[in-house]
Amino acid sequence: MTNDTNQLDEPLHWGAAFFGWICPGLGQIMLGHRQRGFLAMTGVLGLFLCGIFIGGVDCVDRREDPLWFYAQAGSGPVAFAADWANSALLKTGKVGELIESPPSNPRAPAPLVSSFKTVTVASEIGTLYCFIAGLMNVVVLLDALKRRPIDKGNGGDAR
Amino acid sequence: MIPTIVLSTPTLSWIPFLQPAGSLGNLWWLLMIPLILGISIAYRATHDASIEQFWQRVFLFVMKSTLAMGSLALVMYLFVYWIIPNLQTT
Repeated sequence: MTNDTNQLDEPLHWGAAFFGWICPGLGQIMLGHRQRGFLAMTGVLGLFLCGIFIGGVDCVDRREDPLWFYAQAGSGPVAFAADWANSALLKTGKVGELIESPPSNPRAPAPLVSSFKTVTVASEIGTLYCFIAGLMNVVVLLDALKRRPIDKGNGGDAR
Repeated sequence: MIPTIVLSTPTLSWIPFLQPAGSLGNLWWLLMIPLILGISIAYRATHDASIEQFWQRVFLFVMKSTLAMGSLALVMYLFVYWIIPNLQTT
């Protein structure tokens, strides 16, 4: 109970939370919880990279799947980098080729999509992985916001 | 059943992170385990007061969550393939 009360009195570490968004786990590292920060980084970035590995960069798409992207953006700049790679490499046809897909309106011209775009279960699972990575990083940076910094001499990563 | 890995695009080579890795056929649900592992690492790193015995706790979390999801899947399977057909025949 005393610990809870003390934690409520702690000031909010906005800088740590911001840097925790820039790189998952960096907020905890800045506050002295190095091991905890690296473990959180492993969890969040591991999930995100697994998602991209399973589904390809197409599973992060700011324009076509905005609702998924709002949560994926919680992972930080890595989500925007994946979205940029999707737009700049796949959608322009620099990697793979652009092929015609069936139009939703028969009178409209057939839209061009990348040959790397998929609608398989792999794409859905990749999207889900990146989505969960973003949500978990929100949990991690909320923790950095309230976590008590470690004194230099304490070295107590166990807290 | 032998799992088959099928590339989703007819290319000769696979470009990791740009192309999907392909599907695991009927074993796609096994991807739930690394998902739970990632969630568990991030959750345990922030939630626990101490990070002693971290990996043991992560392992327990993964086991419990996998068993819980498996049990739910079993219940749903029994409900859809056994209870509902019996209700229709009676």
